[in-house]
Amino acid sequence: MASVYIPVQNSEEEVRVNLDQLPRDASDILDILKAEQAPLDLWLIIAREYFKQGKVDQFRQILEEGSSPEIDEYYADIRYERIAILNALGAYYSYLGKIETKQREKEEHFILATQYYNKASRIDMHEPSTWVGKGQLLLAKGEVEQASSAFKIVLEGDRDNVPALLGQACVEFNRGKYADSLELYKRALQVYPNCPAAVRLGIGLCRYKLGQFEKARQAFERVLQLDPENVEALVALAIMDLRSNEAAGIRKGMVKMQRAFEIYPYCAMALNYLANHFFFTGQHFLVEQLTETALSVTNHGPTKSHSYYNLARSYHSKGDYDKAGVYYMASVKEISKPHEFVFPYYGLGQVQIKLGDFRSALSNFEKVLEVYPDNCETLKALAYIYVQLGQTDKGHEFIRKATKIDPRDAQAFLELGELLILSDTGAALDAFKTARTLFKKGGQEAPIELLNNIGVLQFERGEFEFAKQTFKEALGDGIWLSFFSEANKSSIDAATSTLQFKDMQLFHDLESSGQLVEVPWDKVTVIFNLARLLEQLNESGTASILYRLILFKYPDYIDAYLRLAAISKARNNILLSIELVNDALKVNGKCPNALSMLGELELKNDDWVKAKETLRAASDATDGKDSYATLSLGNWNYFAAVRNEKRNPKLEATHLEKAKELYTKVMIQHSSNLYAANGAAVVFAEKGHFDVSKDIFTQVQEAASGSVFVQMPDVWINLAHVYFAQGNFALAVKMYQNCLRKFYHNTDSQVLLYLARTYYEAEQWQDCIKTLQRAIHLAPSNYTLRFDAGVAMQKFSASTLQKAKRTADEVRATVAGLQNAVRIFSQLSAASNLHIHGFDEKKIDTHVGYCTHLLSAAKVHLEAAEREEQQIRQRQEVARQVALAEEARRKAEEQRKIQMDRRKHEDELKIVQKQEEHFKRVKEQWKSSTHSKRRERSDDEDGGTAEKKKRKGGKRRKKDKHSKSHNDTEEMEPGEMEPDMMDEQEMEDEDANTNYREELQTDTKDVEENPHGLLALAGLEDSDADDEPAAGPSSTISRRRQALSESDDDEPIMKQQSPVRENSVDMEESDGEIRGGEKTHGDAASDEEK
Amino acid sequence: MKLAGIKSVDNAHDDSVWAVTWAPATATRPPLLLTGSLDETVRVWKSDELILDRTNTGHCLGVASVAAHPLGSIAASSSLDSFVRVFDVDTNSTIATLEAPPSEVWQMRFDPKGSILAVAGGGSASVNLWDTSTWEIVATLSIPRVDGPKPSDKSGSKKFVLSVAWSPDGKRIACGSMDGTISVFDVQRAKFLHHLEGHFMPVRSLVYSPYDPRLLFSASDDGNVHMYDAEGKALIGTMSGHASWVLCVDVSPDGAAIATGSSDRTVRLWDLNMRASVQTMSNHTDQVWGVAFRPPGGNDVRSGRLASVSDDKSISLYDYS
Repeated sequence: MASVYIPVQNSEEEVRVNLDQLPRDASDILDILKAEQAPLDLWLIIAREYFKQGKVDQFRQILEEGSSPEIDEYYADIRYERIAILNALGAYYSYLGKIETKQREKEEHFILATQYYNKASRIDMHEPSTWVGKGQLLLAKGEVEQASSAFKIVLEGDRDNVPALLGQACVEFNRGKYADSLELYKRALQVYPNCPAAVRLGIGLCRYKLGQFEKARQAFERVLQLDPENVEALVALAIMDLRSNEAAGIRKGMVKMQRAFEIYPYCAMALNYLANHFFFTGQHFLVEQLTETALSVTNHGPTKSHSYYNLARSYHSKGDYDKAGVYYMASVKEISKPHEFVFPYYGLGQVQIKLGDFRSALSNFEKVLEVYPDNCETLKALAYIYVQLGQTDKGHEFIRKATKIDPRDAQAFLELGELLILSDTGAALDAFKTARTLFKKGGQEAPIELLNNIGVLQFERGEFEFAKQTFKEALGDGIWLSFFSEANKSSIDAATSTLQFKDMQLFHDLESSGQLVEVPWDKVTVIFNLARLLEQLNESGTASILYRLILFKYPDYIDAYLRLAAISKARNNILLSIELVNDALKVNGKCPNALSMLGELELKNDDWVKAKETLRAASDATDGKDSYATLSLGNWNYFAAVRNEKRNPKLEATHLEKAKELYTKVMIQHSSNLYAANGAAVVFAEKGHFDVSKDIFTQVQEAASGSVFVQMPDVWINLAHVYFAQGNFALAVKMYQNCLRKFYHNTDSQVLLYLARTYYEAEQWQDCIKTLQRAIHLAPSNYTLRFDAGVAMQKFSASTLQKAKRTADEVRATVAGLQNAVRIFSQLSAASNLHIHGFDEKKIDTHVGYCTHLLSAAKVHLEAAEREEQQIRQRQEVARQVALAEEARRKAEEQRKIQMDRRKHEDELKIVQKQEEHFKRVKEQWKSSTHSKRRERSDDEDGGTAEKKKRKGGKRRKKDKHSKSHNDTEEMEPGEMEPDMMDEQEMEDEDANTNYREELQTDTKDVEENPHGLLALAGLEDSDADDEPAAGPSSTISRRRQALSESDDDEPIMKQQSPVRENSVDMEESDGEIRGGEKTHGDAASDEEK
Repeated sequence: MKLAGIKSVDNAHDDSVWAVTWAPATATRPPLLLTGSLDETVRVWKSDELILDRTNTGHCLGVASVAAHPLGSIAASSSLDSFVRVFDVDTNSTIATLEAPPSEVWQMRFDPKGSILAVAGGGSASVNLWDTSTWEIVATLSIPRVDGPKPSDKSGSKKFVLSVAWSPDGKRIACGSMDGTISVFDVQRAKFLHHLEGHFMPVRSLVYSPYDPRLLFSASDDGNVHMYDAEGKALIGTMSGHASWVLCVDVSPDGAAIATGSSDRTVRLWDLNMRASVQTMSNHTDQVWGVAFRPPGGNDVRSGRLASVSDDKSISLYDYS
């Protein structure tokens, strides 16, 4: 039993004070101490004992008494003990200040402590323990540098002053110089090997901070050996175990942590770690309790911050964003620098995003980014915020940075893709694809959404096959496979029900046959997209089954109804389509898309009033915000304005105005709406402002090219219309043709009609008639086209007849055209008895009458023209005959000469033969040479097949020459007279061939009937006179062409008949020609024989 | 099954080629290919090299249809002016000129025995049957008028007859109309039997399977080819795939495949077992108006041939195997 003895003054006696039984009231002891003038060290011992027993008041009372001025005076010489008392008080107040949470009292304590130390210093400037105390005070106040200088003063005096060493170690630790700190601790330990466990704790911490975990662990374990209840060491070891990140380690760590908690339940650090653990195990109730305790026991900023953070996280994960935000905020407030503890900023940022406070979130995430500039999650969060704030560029920048930092982060690429979708589909697709590859590399299934997005983008870019594959990949295995994989087609005969768009029997059958018809909710969209794609690929049958599959399972999926309706509309099955749209409307009677579609269908059904109502309803359903409905109403008004043939100018104006108003309304809502712009331009054009409308159309056309989803043939047509109206026919034609090819697969008879009309105005009659024929072929039941064709022919003929110069062929074509026109009109007239085709019978009759009149007039012209040509032909023929005769003569001459030569030769041969009979040596040689000659001659005489062949050959040669000579005569023909003639060269030839056999007609008659004929005749004669006609290069070219066509006509010209004349006549003529031809050849042949 | 291009003749005609048919082989010559065009001519082509044999003139407007007699010696061509010219294939001598106003003339087909020429009568909503010996009309098969709920249709009767097909036994005629309905007639009794429904856009081409007198294929502007049981009034199957109007259809002589031509400029070959398109030929540059399989027979027993004609003025010949 420890006790002290207070020496009684002036005696040898001592008062024994049992330290375990100190009086409750310190005054008793004090009285004794004062009365006996006990040495000051006794005072200190007793005070310390009180302190140890937790009787702080008594402790203070004794020390305060011991440091009172009387004592100072009385014990003026005993400096060390006085200093010790003051230092003890200083240390006491330092401690109070350190643990005090309230700022004001804290400062008061520190002031008191400072006062005591100063007092101690005044007694002895050099007392090391005072300096150590001061140093510790300064440390407690956080004034590390000053503390350091205080400790250094001590250490300069005594290198091995343990408290100073420890203090300095602490300073260095706080400065982050762990190695120095470690050295100091080590020295302290060397100097004083029995120092308390705390020193080793310091070593452990330093080593931990230095990353020497094993040594740190040894140090902590040593601490625990010395002091098994040392909470800090336990906690430190536990933390190290937890950090090991292994299940076993974590478990061990938690055991230690729990022991620390049991030993001392108020260690904030331990509490925080426990809370952290329970957060991850999901025991939020425990988390809250632990952190609240931690908060109440500590005033250490970082620790509190950690506690708040734990609490906030707990609420965050529970979805209580408001509370989480508050605690994150509290946590953040406890942190002086984000570098110390950055997590709460991140959490706060997240919560703020959730709460929509993007600006604050932005600043928080930026703080996180300062600490971790390469943190992908933060970058992604920032990117997201910037996008939300509308700064897409910055958003892209961040997300791109994230993908660069971690090029294997599929999620980042996914987000990048999502960001890019609106601005740059190509880049978005790339990002998505990268994400997909990353997912695959990582062995994960790519999310359905990702595949769906890729598919849609590919679809949008027209890569249909890829898109199809992607969608199929997204869908994976399921009932749908049986509908589009060919292998299964036979087992499920889906085809039968492809047309019954509402038929669900197929699926019922499947179910009853034991197959599970299941469509997971997350695949519905993909199925829909796939079906949409199949539509685009024209596999509408399969598409319709897929839509129905969706409806079978999700009967509220309006879009599927609408697509089905669209398919049947494309097949022109309007009634079914309407029915389907009505099904959609049953699901949602106000669905604007369904209403718009219904309106459209009603328009198609010619149900104008109903359509208008429906479209209004659609427009109302969206408060006029749905541009489609508004546009449709605009279109309605436009069509209403131009619908009737008999236009009512007043009504037309109001309708047009209304249409314009509606288009403008859409334009205001969506300034880039192509259709509205198109509509507005149409109204402008309708009012005659072609330049304005042309500008708009051109812009719309430019904008509309590029996406598969924007197909705007209308704007092409409109542009063409404007060109047409401005008289720029060539451009209009080009535009119509391009439009037809690009959008309609050349199948739109209406556009063909526009084209024909343009040709008509451009007076390109043949093109016009051809185009109309194409249109009739495409739309056979459209009788208007026939009527138009009739009119075009009539107009063509009339205009030809009015021409100043024309050939017989032209006139002949005219006649044929008129005959066709008459036929068409009379057919129409006949048909009008049977059908209603919208035009007046009288009108047709008028046309018939006019055409017949023209026909009769044309016949006269035809005769004249033909006569004229006969003459030309005759002259040509005469010339040809002459040439032929000459040729024949020359040939005959040659032949005679040859025969003469041959005879002569033969004679000579005979003579030679006779002579050589005697010379037997050379007989053989001669025989062989004569043999061939003789054979030739005998062939000639016998008339064998070889001769025939030879003759034929000769004939051909002859004919070549004949045609050559013919060309010669042709040269004399006035080529420049009618350049148009070239086209119908064969016909002309034929005429020439037939005509030369006929009688000559008098020139005078010709002149009388056709004054133009005279001119032509004169021209002919002129050129006849000059052997070389004064023709330009063009005419020589044409002549050459003539020559070519001539020489091609080796065979009789029978094959190519004039297209405009009656069959029978033609045949006869060509037959005659052949006969004639043969006759001439025959003559030539006979000539040859002579 | 497979198509392999053999020969293509560009500018085979001066303008769009609208019609094609094979004149079967006769004792003296192999089969010939007949094509009709907007240039108002019918041209005759021989051998795999598609050598132009003859050019027949005589029509005043574009030639919309050509048909060949099963014996191969005579053929008929018709143009938009609704004249039918019947001619001798080998000599081009006119045998008859047919006209039946106010009936127009669209598609024509000789019956399998060759005794009747069926002519789709357009707006007259009827098919005219001409006796091939006398060239007189023997019957007019009219589609009964339906008292439609909407008499206001602008194009008059929608039963505008475009196409016609004979069943292989010669007992039935099917005709396709603008409104997409197909009408089936009993030839012997000259009686309308029933409609086949499913299309709602013009049916421009029809063909019966050569082996199954009930199986009918139809090509329509809705982009689909339908398979019907023509007797049972049932739609058996739908084949979709063309991007635009299907203008023509023909069935292979072995009955295993059909070929279609479309406005989307392609010729497709369809496997009837799979009911799927097995091949797409894209050699034409404009709409394909006609496809025709060469009929078997003659001493020319080589594998099958398919010809296609197009608005791009060209003719293509393929080997079908």
